[in-house]
Amino acid sequence: MFARLVGESFVRNPRRKILTAAALVVGMAVATATLTVALDVGDRLAREFRSLGANLLVTPESDTLPLEIGGVDYRPVDEGAYLDEASLGKLKTIFWRHNILGFTPLLDVPAVVSADGLKLNTTLVGTWYEHAVLVPDGTKFKTGTGATHPWWKVQGRWFHDDAHECVVGAALAATHPSVFGVGKTINIAKSESEGQTLSLLVTGIVSTGDAEDKAVLAPLSMAQNLSRRPGKIRQLFVSALTKPADSLSERDPKTLSAKDYDRWFCSPYISSISFQIRQVLPGTDVRAIRRVADTEGRILSRIGLLLWIVTLAALAGAALAVAATAATTVLERRDEIGIMKAIGATNSTVAGIFLAEQVLLALIGGAIGFCAGVGLAWILGESVFGTPSSLRVVLLPVVLGLAAIIAILGSLIPLRHAAHFQPAPILRGE
Amino acid sequence: MFTRLLWKLLRASRGRLVVALVALVSGAAVISALLNLQFDIERKLTQEFRTLGANLVIAPAQEVQATGSGAYSAALMNQDAVFSQLEKARSLEVVAAAPYLYIVAQTKTRPVIVAGTWLDEATKLAPTWKITGSRVGSREDVMICLVGRNVAQQLKLAPKAQLELNYLGRTARLTVAGVVDAGGAEDNQVFVDLHVTQYLAGLTGQIGLVQLSINGTPKTITTYAQRLATALPDVEVRPIRQVTEAEGELLARIRLLIFSMVLLILVLTGLCVLATMAALAMERREDVGLMKALGGSISRIVGLFLAEVGVLGAVGGFAGCIAGVALSHWMGQRVFGTAISARWEIFALTVALMVGAALAGALPLRRLGNVKPAVIFRGE
Repeated sequence: MFARLVGESFVRNPRRKILTAAALVVGMAVATATLTVALDVGDRLAREFRSLGANLLVTPESDTLPLEIGGVDYRPVDEGAYLDEASLGKLKTIFWRHNILGFTPLLDVPAVVSADGLKLNTTLVGTWYEHAVLVPDGTKFKTGTGATHPWWKVQGRWFHDDAHECVVGAALAATHPSVFGVGKTINIAKSESEGQTLSLLVTGIVSTGDAEDKAVLAPLSMAQNLSRRPGKIRQLFVSALTKPADSLSERDPKTLSAKDYDRWFCSPYISSISFQIRQVLPGTDVRAIRRVADTEGRILSRIGLLLWIVTLAALAGAALAVAATAATTVLERRDEIGIMKAIGATNSTVAGIFLAEQVLLALIGGAIGFCAGVGLAWILGESVFGTPSSLRVVLLPVVLGLAAIIAILGSLIPLRHAAHFQPAPILRGE
Repeated sequence: MFTRLLWKLLRASRGRLVVALVALVSGAAVISALLNLQFDIERKLTQEFRTLGANLVIAPAQEVQATGSGAYSAALMNQDAVFSQLEKARSLEVVAAAPYLYIVAQTKTRPVIVAGTWLDEATKLAPTWKITGSRVGSREDVMICLVGRNVAQQLKLAPKAQLELNYLGRTARLTVAGVVDAGGAEDNQVFVDLHVTQYLAGLTGQIGLVQLSINGTPKTITTYAQRLATALPDVEVRPIRQVTEAEGELLARIRLLIFSMVLLILVLTGLCVLATMAALAMERREDVGLMKALGGSISRIVGLFLAEVGVLGAVGGFAGCIAGVALSHWMGQRVFGTAISARWEIFALTVALMVGAALAGALPLRRLGNVKPAVIFRGE
C-alpha cells in the first residue's frame, strides 16, 4: 500500500517532481565536481609547483665553505669534498621513490676557455640533460636539468650525454658572439698552464637568468675528465613531490613516538624525504631549498583550505536549492494532504509517504547529478591542469547520502507545518 | 493603489516570503563572497609568492672577464646613481630592495664570502629565512652581522660572538647578531652592512648588484623592469626567470581553478534563486485569477507581481551582500590571514543579479494572460 502510494505519486504527476529532481541533479553535480577537484587539487598543484625546480639540495657533509660569487667558485680546486655519481641511482629506492621526480648532479670546475686566440676565465659546469641513471633494481631512470631546472631555456639544442659537446651561458656568449656561436668548437683547459684541453662543440646558448649564464655547461663526464675526478659530483639538486608541512612535520623526528614516527616516515613531507635520501646516501647533508619548499607549502595549504571552503559553499548552495523546492512541493500538495488526513491518515503516515518520495527522488537525482558532476570535474581538470580528473567512485555513496539528507532536511520544516493542517478548511479550498 | 496592493501582497503571505527571502539572502551572500574572493585572489596570491624572494636584479651591463688572477673583478655600479633612480621609480609594488657588494674576506681560519647589504631590507627580501638570535630592524648599527648556518657551524659562531674579517690589509671586527638558516647558497655567507664591505674593499659608493622583490603579476613585473631599464640605461635590469616564470604559470592555473569553481557555484546559486522565485510566483495563480475577474488588465497584474518579486530580490540581495562581505572577510582571515577587501561594484552586481533572477523566475506568470479566471477558481 505504502509503496503503491509512493509509486502512484511519481506516475500520476511526474511534472511536479521534475523541479525537485532538477534542483537535486544540478546541486549534486556541482557538489560532485567541487569535491572531486578539492580532493586531488593538492597532488595536482604540487606537481605544477615543480615548475619552480628542485626543492632539495644534497651536498657532501664534510664540505668546506663554497666560495661562490656570481657562478665563480673561488675555492682551490683540490679543496672540498665530493659525492659519488655511482650511488645516485639509490635515490629511486627510497620509500617515496615515486615522489622523486628528478635529480641533477652538478660539478663545477674553474676553467680557461680558448678559441680564436681568445682566452677567458670561466666555469665549466658538468651536469645531465637527459641522462639514463641505472637504478639498483635494474631499471633506468631518465632525468636531468629538464626536471630540476625547467626554466633553463636553450637556443639550439642541449648537448648529448658523453658527447664532446656543450652549451654556453647567454651572458658569456653575448660577450663574444662570434666565438660562442652554435656550431663553433671551443677548447677548455683546467688552467692556462695546463697542457690537456678538451674540444667541445657548442650546440646551444642557454639562458638561466642566474649565475650559469656566465658559464659553460657540458656533460658531467667532460667536467669529471677535466677536473680529473672521475665519478665525482659536487652537489645534487632533487625535485620531489611533497606534502605541505603541518604540525607533525615541524616536530623533531627523534622526539616522535613510534606510531607518530611511522606516520611521519610514511608521509611525503620534505623532512621525511630528505631523511630517506640521507639514509641511502650516507655522509651527505640534505637540505630543503627553503625558498621553494616554504612557498610551495604555504600556497598549497592555502589553496587547499580555500577549495574546501568553496566546496562547502557549493554544498550549501545545493542544499538550499533542494530544500527550497522540497518546501514548495509540500505546500503545493496541501489538497492531497487534506484528503489523506480526512480519510484517516496519521501525521506520521503522511510524513512517511512524503519522505519516502523525497528520498527516492534524492537517489535518482543524486545518481544523475553524480554522473553530470564527474563530467564537469573531467572538463575542469582538463582545462585547468591539462589532464582530466580521475573518477572517484567513493564519492558516489557520499553524494547519494548527501542528497538524501538534504532532501529530508528540506522537507522536515514544511512537513511539520503540514501536521497542523486541518482537513476541513483545506478541502473547502481555504 | 499600486503601492498599497504591493504592500498588502508582501504582508499577506509572510510565511512563503520568508522561504524566498532566505534563499535570496543566502544566495546573494555566497555569490558576493565568492565574487569578492575571485577579484582579490590574484593580489593575495602574488603576495604569497613573495616568499620566493627577489624577482628582479639590477646588475652592471658589462661583466669584466679577467684572465689569470683569481681576484674578484666583477663590474660595479655607482650606488647613488642607481638608488636615486630607484627612489624615483619606487611604487607600492616594491616590497624590498637591497644593494649587494660581495667580497671574499679572510677570517682567522678560512676565507668566507661576505655580502655587504642593508640587513633590514635583505631579511625582507627573503621572508623564509629562519634567524636565531635577533632580527635586524634598522641600518643604524653597522658593526653587526648575520652569519649563514654553515659558516656558523664551521667557524663555531653563535649570536653575540665576535667575528673578525680581513681583506686587503683592512680589518673589521663585528658582532654576530643572528644565525641565518636560509636553505640555499646564503647558508655559506656572512651578511654585513654595505658600508663594511665598501670600507674593506676600498670601494666607497660602489655596489655589485641590487635585488628587488616586486609584488604583482608577471606583467606588472615586466612593466616595472622596463620602466627601470629606461631610467637606468647603463645597467642591466633582468627578472629572475626561475621565480617569475613559475609564478606566472602557477598563478594562471590557480586563478583558472578558482574562477571555474566560482562560476559553477554562481550558476548553481542563480538557478536555486530562480527556482524558488518561480515556485513562489506559481502560487500566485489564484490571486491573478481573482484580479482578472475583478477587471484588472493582465499587464497591470503581472506588473504588480513583478514589482513584488523585484522588491524581494532587492531586499534579499542587499541583506545577502552584507552577509557576503562578512563571509569574505572571514574567508580571507581564515585562509590568507588578511581580510579580503569588499568592492562596491560587487555589491551592485549582486543586487542586480538577485533582482534579475527573481524577475526571471516570475516571468512564467505572463503566461497566465490567457488563463480564464473561472478555470482557476474551479481549482482545475
